[in-house]
Amino acid sequence: MTTRDLVLTALFAAIIVALGLLPPIMLGFIPVPITAQSMGVMLAGVILGARRGTMAVLLVLLLAAIGLPVLSGGRGGLAVFAAPTTGYLIGWVFAAFTTGFIAERVVKPSQTSLTQTLGFFVAAVAGGVVVLYAFGITYLAFITGIGMSKAFIGSMAFIPGDIIKAVVAALAGRAVMAGYPLLPARA
Amino acid sequence: MNSLYVEGDSFFHRLPPRPKLILLLTASLALFLTRSPLLLGLSAGAAALLYGSLGIGWQQSWIRLRPILLTIAIVALATLVLNSMEEGGVVLLRLTTLMLIAAAVTATVPIGSFIDEITLAARPMERLGLVKAADIGLSVGLVIRFVPEVVLRFQQLRQAHQARGLKVRATTMIVPLIIQTLKSADEIAAAIDARGIRGQRHARNLEDSR
Repeated sequence: MTTRDLVLTALFAAIIVALGLLPPIMLGFIPVPITAQSMGVMLAGVILGARRGTMAVLLVLLLAAIGLPVLSGGRGGLAVFAAPTTGYLIGWVFAAFTTGFIAERVVKPSQTSLTQTLGFFVAAVAGGVVVLYAFGITYLAFITGIGMSKAFIGSMAFIPGDIIKAVVAALAGRAVMAGYPLLPARA
Repeated sequence: MNSLYVEGDSFFHRLPPRPKLILLLTASLALFLTRSPLLLGLSAGAAALLYGSLGIGWQQSWIRLRPILLTIAIVALATLVLNSMEEGGVVLLRLTTLMLIAAAVTATVPIGSFIDEITLAARPMERLGLVKAADIGLSVGLVIRFVPEVVLRFQQLRQAHQARGLKVRATTMIVPLIIQTLKSADEIAAAIDARGIRGQRHARNLEDSR
């Protein structure tokens, strides 16, 4: 890992932490407050790609584990890994990886901006919704013993919000790519 | 950014970090091997005594544990409604015990000791060539250093929006925030390399591997 990659990873981890400190942002068209931190996970994959994106998310979780209140709402410490929702935190790592993996392969600089945005959206949904919920729901079902289907229904309410986050992440990812391209990862 | 470490001189404070982390790991596995309400109740009581012995105080403890207690309570209640009284109780006791032990470890191990432990744990991975153990501490330090900077940038962007009479929107805020922040990467990387922070100690290893 070059020093530049290490710094990019750390800077993005700082962005994810900062997104958790900010008050929830209201989107204009839907009255849902967006807690921006889980969007940071999608953004990490979309902007930094699989390797650096995954490292950035791992770094945030590491900071939380060693006792810094870096998760949204000032949560932190090893206790956050003892909650029923811990599966989502573990899923962050794989979500960032999946998003980055798809984004690196699907989105090319030569494409039109619409194609790029769509590619990023698909990547963000695959990672930040499909993979993330697979981990979150499996963990919740395991820890409570309520079974997969009930855990799935219980988590459904949060999916629309995460789809909106994927839209914002795709738009932002495409704009960052135009302004300061980091994909495909330079060696 | 303040860490969740709490100064103190209790027995658990004086215990070195490693046995505490091993206790937490063992507990997280052992608690899922039993379903006996008696055993789980006893361990929850023991964990509460442990946490109580740290001298954090009721009010501080409540502030620290509230968000996690709330999710545990909601999920335990849902389990109780969906399955049975017993299932709900098991979930509540297990997770509360685990949360208390984890919070106790967090409150008694300073950040520096944690980083030392992690660096040590990463040594075998370093031999496999997966990570440089020393990079972990450096990265943690960088993040702590840059969070206030990112927050400051966010506030400046919000003021810039307001000054121009623009609505503060997610997309118009996030893009400049990310570009501005990541653009400083080259300078910071150059500064780190110029000081030989990563290179010197490992220069020989690198030459060997070539």
